[in-house]
Amino acid sequence: MRINGGRIVCGALFFYASLILFFLPFNTMAAGEYSFDVEEFESKSFEWGGYAEIKFEHIDLNTDSAFYRLNFHQDPRSTIDRYTGALQLEYSYKKGIGAFNGVLRAEAGQDDIGWSDSADVYEANLSLKPTPFVTADIGKKVFKWGKGYAWNPVGFIDRPKDPNDPEEALEGYFGAGVDLIKSLDGSLRTVALTTVALPVWKDVNEDFGELNHVNFAAKLYMLYRDTDIDFVIFSGGSRSTRYGVDFSRNLATNFEIHGEFAYLTDLKQNYLSETGTLTKRERSAKIYLLGLRYLTESDITTIIEYYHNGAGFSESELKRFYQLVADADTQLLNTGIDILFQAAKNISNMGYVSPQAGRNYLYFKINQKDSFDILYFTPGLIAILNLDDQSYSVSPEMLYTGFTNWELRLRFTFLKGDNFTEFEEKQNENKLEFRVRYYF
Amino acid sequence: MIYGKVSSKPLKVFFNFLVQMTLIMLLVIPAAALDGNEILLQVDRNLQPESYEMYRKLINIEPDGSKKEYVLYTVKKGQDKMVALFLSPASEKGRATLRLGDNMWLYIPSVGKPLRITSLQSVVGGVFNNSDILRIDYSAEYNAAMIEETADKFILDCKAKTATVAYDRLTMVVDKESVVPLTIECYAASGMLIKTLYYKELKGFGDGLRRPSVMETDSPLYKGYKSVMLYAKINKKDLADEVFTLNYLPRVDELR
Repeated sequence: MRINGGRIVCGALFFYASLILFFLPFNTMAAGEYSFDVEEFESKSFEWGGYAEIKFEHIDLNTDSAFYRLNFHQDPRSTIDRYTGALQLEYSYKKGIGAFNGVLRAEAGQDDIGWSDSADVYEANLSLKPTPFVTADIGKKVFKWGKGYAWNPVGFIDRPKDPNDPEEALEGYFGAGVDLIKSLDGSLRTVALTTVALPVWKDVNEDFGELNHVNFAAKLYMLYRDTDIDFVIFSGGSRSTRYGVDFSRNLATNFEIHGEFAYLTDLKQNYLSETGTLTKRERSAKIYLLGLRYLTESDITTIIEYYHNGAGFSESELKRFYQLVADADTQLLNTGIDILFQAAKNISNMGYVSPQAGRNYLYFKINQKDSFDILYFTPGLIAILNLDDQSYSVSPEMLYTGFTNWELRLRFTFLKGDNFTEFEEKQNENKLEFRVRYYF
Repeated sequence: MIYGKVSSKPLKVFFNFLVQMTLIMLLVIPAAALDGNEILLQVDRNLQPESYEMYRKLINIEPDGSKKEYVLYTVKKGQDKMVALFLSPASEKGRATLRLGDNMWLYIPSVGKPLRITSLQSVVGGVFNNSDILRIDYSAEYNAAMIEETADKFILDCKAKTATVAYDRLTMVVDKESVVPLTIECYAASGMLIKTLYYKELKGFGDGLRRPSVMETDSPLYKGYKSVMLYAKINKKDLADEVFTLNYLPRVDELR
């Protein structure tokens, strides 16, 4: 539900976000006697909260890359500076067995290219809970299925998350669902069944897939012998039928492992064949992930995930696309004819532009809480490696949450690889980002 | 003669004396006859009912005296089921942690799904880790042996029942009169002291529950830092088992 052109609304939101951020004092309390006024935290029927953030980004563009050529051939530049303000509001109204929950987000930004703004309803749903065993939901809701941190092969009705920011809120889909839970004694401690009906009509979940279908998804969860296990199924005309299973388990007090496996049937895909022509194929694909999370005595957390995307493009298929863009660019420069260039642009939207378009990836995240004896200071590093072409992105970052309700993050990302490799052909060469967020 | 009627007067006097002494012993030092595990069970019951709700405030205090506070609503059932919901600060509001035996999960509203966490991680930073915040009954995790008894204290050596327990060994000093802990030293399997917990300020919470209302902790790993937990509104509460499941985590607030 995107409201385009709401420049006045977004400008006002940006203005208020800035006001909130700059005129509220950093709330550090002085030492003193302990006090706890519990009445202050009594439950209320209407509650709201959220955050305001401002972000500055400086981007050095990779002017030799395929996606730079596709996106900037008419407006060449080597850097972009961008200022963004965002406001996210979350609210809930509870009465009896019902609750209405919502998440709204507005964002406005100004960069060297121009102004952009958006206002979105991320969530708006009615939830009925007649007993602890049953919940029924209807409305716009976010689904996040699977155990993976950076990727979720079994997230059949999820929006894909950004592996560099997997904990950020995403926009939901309209749907209706029922959730049943049963606790048991013995090795099988919990069984839960979640079922969702997800329609795709004009103006309703249009970006999910083919129009005029009602799709169904179900997840059966079990906690069996201290292991989380999910069986997932999706069926409907908007996307092909798919099956999945995932698990997660703690092997020790500081060591967790998880995995996901998905089998996608009848995937239709366009790709550049060996002859360089655009070819259609229909196939089944296996997508899986295996990961671990390990914590050392010195509070260093490491997350490693191997991700195989059987629905992605092979190394040679990606190379052919990058070669096509290079040829199209040469033709455009030499002759002024942009036929090949427009073809490359169209083909880029057939999957080649997606964040991880290849087959095999390694995700690595490491951070240390309270590093250098500074409480709430968390330096870290995120790396994503394309195992097929050896290109990668690396993002060192520093996070500070020491001021109550404030979060300050400084991150630098750089991308490297040989020519015609995935991360080398992306638009950015590097990006410096500073984000300040205030929760209220 | 022993099992029959006591007819001799001196013997009767002696027998009465023996009975009275036994009764006095039982009344004056009731726990003296208990073994370590029985004391640990009594400690658990004196700290909280088996099924309850409560509010807690966690305060992390830095060496310069500055503080960061968190408020949690907590429900517990049986020996090993517990949920804690963050009510404050705003940056943490809505986060919920669930513990089922050795299993722990963290639900972050923006993430939208529970993530498995481990007991040695800390969702709040500071000296408290997840196992401190989601502490289930001591007797569920430890076998205790009495290593010393003084006029007013029991000193228990508690050994973790499994390798998945956060602290391999505890040295617990228990107040004889109230049968609640005074201090608990927490050790890793290597023998390293990880932290010390100090229970303070005995207070009545109603319904016959009288227990420390403050728990402080410090750690040689966090020199100069201190974390404090304040307890309020500990009430018995009947809860369905289904409250302690991943699917229920997004709606824990509705229990309040």
